Amino acid sequence: MIEFQNVTYTHQKGYGLNNLNLSIDEGEFTFLIGPTGSGKTTLMRLIYFDLIPDAGIVNVNGFSSSKMTRRKIPKARKSIGMVFQDYKLLPDRDLFENVALPLHVLGFSSREIPDRVEESLELVGLTGKNNHFPNELSGGEQQRACLARAIIKEPDVLLTDEPTGNLDPIASFELVRLLESIHETGTTILMASHNYNLIKGRGRPILELKDGLIRGR
Amino acid sequence: MDKFLYLISEGGKNIWRHKMTSFTAVFSLFIALFFVGILITAGENTHKVLQYLRSKYKIEVFFKQDVSNEEAVGLIHRIKKIKGVRTATIIEKEDAVRIFKDQFGEDITEILGYNPLPVSAVINLTRTSRTAITVGPIIKAIRSLERIEEVRYQGNLIGKIEQNYKRIIDRFPYLAGIIIFIAVLIIYNTIKLSVYSRRDLIRSLQLIGATRLFIKMPFIIEGMLIGLISSILVYPSLIGVVKGINYVFAHFTSWDVTLIFNPLVWIWILILVIVITLVGSYRAASSFLK
Repeated sequence: MIEFQNVTYTHQKGYGLNNLNLSIDEGEFTFLIGPTGSGKTTLMRLIYFDLIPDAGIVNVNGFSSSKMTRRKIPKARKSIGMVFQDYKLLPDRDLFENVALPLHVLGFSSREIPDRVEESLELVGLTGKNNHFPNELSGGEQQRACLARAIIKEPDVLLTDEPTGNLDPIASFELVRLLESIHETGTTILMASHNYNLIKGRGRPILELKDGLIRGR
Repeated sequence: MDKFLYLISEGGKNIWRHKMTSFTAVFSLFIALFFVGILITAGENTHKVLQYLRSKYKIEVFFKQDVSNEEAVGLIHRIKKIKGVRTATIIEKEDAVRIFKDQFGEDITEILGYNPLPVSAVINLTRTSRTAITVGPIIKAIRSLERIEEVRYQGNLIGKIEQNYKRIIDRFPYLAGIIIFIAVLIIYNTIKLSVYSRRDLIRSLQLIGATRLFIKMPFIIEGMLIGLISSILVYPSLIGVVKGINYVFAHFTSWDVTLIFNPLVWIWILILVIVITLVGSYRAASSFLK
């Protein structure tokens, strides 16, 4: 499902990934751990083709970085859901509009959209908040809204980059539980975090990233 | 189809969502277009003033003493064919006596025992020409006709008026070019700033897999709507300004400023604005799409 073959990517400031090899199977829930600046976000960005490696190949769900073109990127991202630490919700749209956005991108009919949004919001526990704008939601609610937006298109791969970074311990724990329930539907999940206490003991593979290399699994 | 309608409606909704940005954009565009409108109105009214002055241009042609009224009619027909002549009216010998009596209170035929006044003609020049009239060639053409005694005209005055008009119309394209160029720059940059203020939105849309067209389309629609709203607002505002000017003018002169509605001009302006806003939005959105 996700495969890195000798991937090297160097940012202008020098840090990045260094000859990294990695394989995540379909339906796997993997944690990616490492300190700030270890390359977690770079790795995530390579998966959703926001970055193209300097060397090596990234394969995700049938799409290869070696054959990636600007035109293909939106297609590749259609099967990838993303959750960000800073949520990236659109502040000028209410919750319903934010969550429905991927369905519009995918070309769903306007009749199908309301039911699917309701389902998605129910799954993340935000029923009844349809008309709330992001600034009217708590941090935890915003993160769950971001998750609802990511899962509404039923992606094959769900990437969550430090999703608990701005949440308190209880909200963080609930979010991981939510991700685990989504994983049960067969979604491949990669969650990046620097909070080891949150992910340890869950019986999931943990990749440790340090200085651009996988140091342990 | 749903996707297309969604993108169209998003373009419209964006104007409402970003009221302040939209207002600034509409206002800037409106100001730019308003000045274009003022320029067009000024141009049209300059021509109107000129037409009035030209209607006062008078060339008097006096035929030789022995030219009869019938002969004069034939000569006048030839004068009418000269380029730049609008009308030529015969003043028969008898009319000349009456005019003399009106002006001096005496009947010249009674004083002299015969009518010494020749047949003459009053010539008016074309008024509507968009280029400056040079009276010299017209006078030359009249004088070249046989049996012409004298040609009188206000050469100095006509020359000055036409020279000044030429000076204005020679500079008008440059002035119009500068104003339209500034208007285009304002429109283009306003749209670009409006898109720039939402670069985070573009980034978010990219990350959820939106195609470039999906991202650009609402911006393009929004830009075109802003252009349309601004253009629609310009004409009523010009009417208001012209009415205001005429209200003030009414205290000093019988002249009034006319707002000429030439649909073709306004259609061209509308097309120009829509094209600029379309290109501006497209290019601005493209520049934020990696």
